[in-house]
Amino acid sequence: MEKALRKYFPLFALPALICFSLAFLIPMVWGFVLSFCEFATITDATFVGFQNYVRAFTVDNYFTQAFWFTLGFTIVTVISINILAFALALALTRNIPGTNAFRTIFFMPNLIGGIVLGWIWQVVLNGVLAGFEKTLLSDASYGFWGLVILMNWQNIGYMMVIYIAAIQNVPTDMLEAAAIDGANGRTTLFKIIIPSVMPSITICLFLTLTNGFKLYDQNLALTNGAPNHQTEMLALNIFNTFYSRVGFEGVGQAKAVIFTILVAAIALLQLVATRRKEVEN
Amino acid sequence: MAQVGKKYTNIIIFLILLVVAAFIIFPILVVLMNSVKGNLFISSTGAFKLPNEQSFVGFSNYVNGAERISFFSAFGYSLWITIASVAFILLLTSMLAWYITRVKGKVTSAIYYLLVFSMIVPFQMVMFTMSKFANMIHIDNPVGIIILYVGFGCGMSTFMFSGFIKSIPLALEEAAMIDGATPVKTFFSVVLPMLKSTAITIAILETMWVWNDYLMPYLVIGTEYRTIPVAIQYLRGGYGSVDMGSMMAMLVLAMIPVIVFYLFCQKYIIKGVLAGAVKG
Amino acid sequence: MKKALALMLIAFIVVSGAFAGGSKEDSGKTEIYFLNFKPEIADVYTDIVKPAFESAYPQYTLKVVTAASNQYQSTLRSELSKSAPPTIFQVNGPVGIAENVNTVAPLQDTDFYNLLADKGMALSLDGNVVAVPYAVEGYGIIYNDAIMRKYFALPDKAVDISSAEEITSFETLKAVVEDMTAHLDELGIRGVFASTSFMPGSEWRWTTHLVNPVLQAEFGDLATAQSAKTFEFKYSKNFQNIFDLYLNNSITPKGMIGSKADADSMAEFALGQVAMVQNGNWAAAQILGTQGNVVADEDIKFLPIYMDLEGEETKGINVGTENYLAFNKNASAEALEGADTFLTWLYSSPEGKEIVTNDLMFITPFSSFSSDEVPNDPLARQVNIWMNKDGVTSIPWVFNGIPSEQWKADFAQAMLEYINGNYTWDQVTATAQDAWAREAELTGR
Repeated sequence: MEKALRKYFPLFALPALICFSLAFLIPMVWGFVLSFCEFATITDATFVGFQNYVRAFTVDNYFTQAFWFTLGFTIVTVISINILAFALALALTRNIPGTNAFRTIFFMPNLIGGIVLGWIWQVVLNGVLAGFEKTLLSDASYGFWGLVILMNWQNIGYMMVIYIAAIQNVPTDMLEAAAIDGANGRTTLFKIIIPSVMPSITICLFLTLTNGFKLYDQNLALTNGAPNHQTEMLALNIFNTFYSRVGFEGVGQAKAVIFTILVAAIALLQLVATRRKEVEN
Repeated sequence: MAQVGKKYTNIIIFLILLVVAAFIIFPILVVLMNSVKGNLFISSTGAFKLPNEQSFVGFSNYVNGAERISFFSAFGYSLWITIASVAFILLLTSMLAWYITRVKGKVTSAIYYLLVFSMIVPFQMVMFTMSKFANMIHIDNPVGIIILYVGFGCGMSTFMFSGFIKSIPLALEEAAMIDGATPVKTFFSVVLPMLKSTAITIAILETMWVWNDYLMPYLVIGTEYRTIPVAIQYLRGGYGSVDMGSMMAMLVLAMIPVIVFYLFCQKYIIKGVLAGAVKG
Repeated sequence: MKKALALMLIAFIVVSGAFAGGSKEDSGKTEIYFLNFKPEIADVYTDIVKPAFESAYPQYTLKVVTAASNQYQSTLRSELSKSAPPTIFQVNGPVGIAENVNTVAPLQDTDFYNLLADKGMALSLDGNVVAVPYAVEGYGIIYNDAIMRKYFALPDKAVDISSAEEITSFETLKAVVEDMTAHLDELGIRGVFASTSFMPGSEWRWTTHLVNPVLQAEFGDLATAQSAKTFEFKYSKNFQNIFDLYLNNSITPKGMIGSKADADSMAEFALGQVAMVQNGNWAAAQILGTQGNVVADEDIKFLPIYMDLEGEETKGINVGTENYLAFNKNASAEALEGADTFLTWLYSSPEGKEIVTNDLMFITPFSSFSSDEVPNDPLARQVNIWMNKDGVTSIPWVFNGIPSEQWKADFAQAMLEYINGNYTWDQVTATAQDAWAREAELTGR
């Protein structure tokens, strides 16, 4: 069969691969090359070595600042989203009336797009802050916590669904055995439930980690980096470098390469973590 | 005694869940409420006040906003791009996945790893060159952008399809081939029907991505053809002023299709998300 | 599922056919692509100018695209690199020319350039005329004279002048404004000044317009400013004077200005909630278009922006332009000819001129317009009055010499930090100086 199929390459594989090359491969390689060039349009580039990489950090410190902001944001959201989502998942696996309705409601924000979400929360948060005669622009910490709240609002339901599925898969005989042994809720949670849902926890940790790191739309619509670039995350900083400064396209591309390496490192870490878990099990 | 304790705990948990539900719904209600209020009554302190005689403007925000950003043509573009992209992703990547899974070799495994690699590369890496390149080869229109979506959506979709194909026994396909079926016929009559549930999962994940995507349509076709997210962001128009009334109304219009879609396909969406998360 | 796929394929083919057909240009027609800068009149171009021109010259099609606010430069750059680039685009002055040296076409032989009354107003590059201004604008402090009359009629007013026209110095302005703040209730207003808008994208009234008198005082003229490698911000204190006056006597508390757009400020003025707002004649449409506008046309007047600069009693409002049109030399010869035809038609034919004065509402610098062919809105009339007033000279627009958009952004952010209480004024000054030096170097001064 393999032989018969092999010559069907043009029909089965080529269409998708052409799209893949146009959308991803060519732009990717081209972008990588351009990160070492100075250019305004992509065809008139001159080679400048590592100059763009140096300028990414030296012309202003917004990129470094964006890195720390993104890191802080990611750490806070990874922790808060997972704890809250896990707690909700536990609550929704206790046969409480209305479980389905709650699950429907909690998951819903996940489907709303980032731009729409950002504007929704801008109105709500500015409305709350107005009570104190402040706005999201008054202080960078408002923007930070605003983004954290938004991100929790959007992602808790998603992670919760994953945790619910995992908790429902915990073998009932283990839980019954624990109950017979007189284990209290706390012991059951830490000794039985959490260890058996560990793979899901790993998945959720990495999902929230990459979501946080790559956040763009919500950042754009909620604060657009204000005040003074202090709430600018990496993706937004890269976009602004490309499109709002003349002559900085190369620097933007260099920042994009660095960003790609960072994100790829997280993914690699995930791979290693999941592999090790599998070995342990 | 323990039973009574559990009952009380459950009541408390129920109340907490109610509070959380209120927190989830509250922002949407605020937007809904403000969408029928005049511009000046939305910003700052007025945001949480119910519309009253002075601030109520009926549906004029909806009319003005829809006119200003041509909401219905934006809806049309969004719908078209989403449906066409997802359909082509499903068709082309299931074929690709079958090919690279069943034909073993250096080339196919290289393709597989490239596709996996593309899943982790952030869009910012390619956005500049991709949008320029798209213009150079004249695919910067609502039809051409589908090629880009197929190309960029390829990774995850092929990955999930081939994961599933690996798990189905070769015997069925081989039997069909021995009976004289061509690979094309085998694929469409034997393989494709078996991919149905994976296809639904992928369709849901890709729909959520394409429908809500902002940067790609903004950069590639945004000056002439605006999808819903691009059109909404465009409301931050005219010398930095934001027409908050129209904004609220358009946010409501943007959410309605999503929520309707969700309520009708909830089962599939949650299943799809679950499958996507576990495999991705 | 197969059926569904088949259906989608058919739909796809039909729709792509429609697009492929639609995207082909009508044979024989030349497209003129105009990338418009002013979002507030985008509809006039598409609804009035385009059909009128196309019926007068059926061999052309006019495509007008308007960039979103504060997105003009990035939209322009991305559009210029496309395969069908704009034919006509806007540059905001010498800085805009410098960013587009490889794109601007020579204009000295065009009919459009010949319409210009004062040829010295055009911008040149290497001996070629490359950009022609199309609208002159003026800005200052717009005030509602009805409220001012009410104030001057107060028995316990703290100043001895009796009309707003007598305000000719910062000292008097400050005394009047602060005394008005003390009498808000009697005047029936909620603040003297409208919101100092700082919503992202709404900072331009401060980063360009308010800083102009200071730039003019330090550099003298545009030519000096646009080649300046450093900006001392010699008159930083003067800027702070007026900026603080705006902030401390505002309808909006400092913490809240981040949620205010300039449109909000204009609405506050139109609704009679405030007495003054800094803006230019282009804002007339915003005032007149506000639902529930209570300000009578004849009560809308200009006051120069006083900030205690030397000799400011003889200075008028700020008059100039940042609206220049340039042609793209990479466009086809037919399109360039069409661009000239279009602009000459717009600014010299009776039909075009009527649109310019009544719908676009430009005060133009072209000889084809007589002195009574000016827009009939109150602020345009005020600009004319101030330009011809005895004993005062208008302040020219020097802010076109600001080295880059980034300087404006940095300056705006520093001001916002000052308002939020995180920066001292000295830090704002330092930011303005440092950013200028950096941007001047980056732009190759």
